[in-house]
Amino acid sequence: MSENLSELVGRGRVSRRLYTDPEIFEEEMKRIFGRAWLWLGHESQLKKPGDFFTTRMGRDRIIVARHEDGRIYAFHNRCTHRGAEVCPKKSGNTEHFECPYHAWTFRTDGSLKSVPLRKGYDAGFDERADALALEPVARVDSYRGFIFGSHAADGDDLQTYLGPDVRAAFDNFVDRSPDGTVEMAGGTTVQRYRGNWKLQIENSIDLLHPLILHHSAVDAADRVDHGGREPSIEWDTVKANGLSFNEWDELHVAALPRGHCWMGGFLTKSIDEDAEKAVMDENGWRALQAAYRDTMIAARGEERTEEILAFNRHNTIVYPNLFVNSRLAQIRILHPSAADCTEQHGYIFRRGGAPERMFEASVRMVNANNSPSSIVTSDDHEVFERIQEALAFGTSEWLDWSRGIDQERALDGSTGGAGTNEVAMRNQHRAWAEYMAAEFTAAHDMADA
Amino acid sequence: MASSIERWHQVQQFLFQEAQLMDERRWDDWLALYTDDSEYWMPYEWGQQSATDHVSLFFEDKTLLRMRIDRLKNDLSPLEWPPARTNRHLSNVQISGDTGDRVTATAYLAFVEYRREEQRWFSSRVTWDLRAHDESFRIAAKRVDLLNCDQESGHLRFAAPM
Repeated sequence: MSENLSELVGRGRVSRRLYTDPEIFEEEMKRIFGRAWLWLGHESQLKKPGDFFTTRMGRDRIIVARHEDGRIYAFHNRCTHRGAEVCPKKSGNTEHFECPYHAWTFRTDGSLKSVPLRKGYDAGFDERADALALEPVARVDSYRGFIFGSHAADGDDLQTYLGPDVRAAFDNFVDRSPDGTVEMAGGTTVQRYRGNWKLQIENSIDLLHPLILHHSAVDAADRVDHGGREPSIEWDTVKANGLSFNEWDELHVAALPRGHCWMGGFLTKSIDEDAEKAVMDENGWRALQAAYRDTMIAARGEERTEEILAFNRHNTIVYPNLFVNSRLAQIRILHPSAADCTEQHGYIFRRGGAPERMFEASVRMVNANNSPSSIVTSDDHEVFERIQEALAFGTSEWLDWSRGIDQERALDGSTGGAGTNEVAMRNQHRAWAEYMAAEFTAAHDMADA
Repeated sequence: MASSIERWHQVQQFLFQEAQLMDERRWDDWLALYTDDSEYWMPYEWGQQSATDHVSLFFEDKTLLRMRIDRLKNDLSPLEWPPARTNRHLSNVQISGDTGDRVTATAYLAFVEYRREEQRWFSSRVTWDLRAHDESFRIAAKRVDLLNCDQESGHLRFAAPM
């Protein structure tokens, strides 16, 4: 596209074309998803050589594998011969990937191992040629066991890209395990909605909407008669959306360089702060929290435990598509498939050394919040679809994102605002404009926001 | 105990009644068919063994089901603008266990939903754990195995149980 797309983001407003235009979507796949560090998975999925899993980077189908040299490689799931998918499985262990069409086989570092009837090729055919290896993801790196890939050969390294505030979320994610390990487990939730991917990253830092949009869910939670028993963790998860406007505003929102952001925790309101006055069942969630805390203190001492558990954030959003929640041991990622279609995949982690039922709690929370049957996020996705439909008509170009624009506060390494300030969404749009600017050439050129 | 064909008829009539109450959105009457300690489960994985160490599409006790139907009765949610029209087609009803007090029944369910210019349909295998109650039954557990439970491109929203 010759047009300077960064002009579609103005002061406190963005063009609706960011959400609807298929050509802009194609550019996003190249310029944003083709350059950013995207989360691939976790090292607990690749314990020994030959272990692999398949995932996505934007629309690209990717294989991630641990090779016999112990290193992790990521490459496209597409045979270099005719283009067939070489790995049909979600995960497993293998010596090589064999294409079902003509049996070209590839090693777990992506290199071509053999072709059938080798003598049919001429002298110039070299299995070791880079062009015959499965197309590699240009860079693969890990932070605290979380594996990322980038299609850009150069640019910020992973640690720089994440920056201190995002790294802190991953640090806390791991530090909350008594033995310092986490393991991905328990399957994946997948929610699909017919709307643009940005609608979800804006929504997940939008603290004005829960009390309004999720009112029907909170209302239903309020009417539940617990019959003198401790409320379930699913109920807590739904009820947490019922803070007052003032309480939402009191939560801190931080806008970070490269479009990232985080928001203060709010689940504590219903889970922790009311714990003393709430009913506590012997085998309930609150007793489990107390048992977990004891395990942490035994492993790390009281002072360090206090420090780790005091890290009180809800979502940390890694631009363009990742949501990290260290407290819930939960990660969500967006895989856009078109300007008007997005999938959200949710993953949970088992904390090493924690009471076993902590994992069940994580399962129940992700069921309540991120299953297609969630009575919370189903309303978000319903609204996203109505937005997507409505943005297709009318003539007015701009959507308003001006809330709190003159009330932003510059902080050390971030820009902050009251909970309902739209500072973090404006920060996402600024990152979008920087990625999409016509002159933009490489990720490392991007100025810190 | 009734002869097998009468028993089969009795179980099938009860399952038809449940489907009808759901299709007619008589949610309070529907939930009254469930025991206080009942569980409604729709696994995410084909053949899933456990609902506590793996995510589910639905895993709800009676309290959570009540919260869900309370919301369905409340038009504050955009999911209810408008509510879905549904048909639950039950077939292949079989009794796989019967002790007199406890009956295990299975059936195929074709769930068809129309809402906002779109018709969706899902096919599933359903298992009910029934308890004898007066001259009828109460549902202690219902498991719905969706044919495309683990569809990689995911599912749009499920407002109501199937």
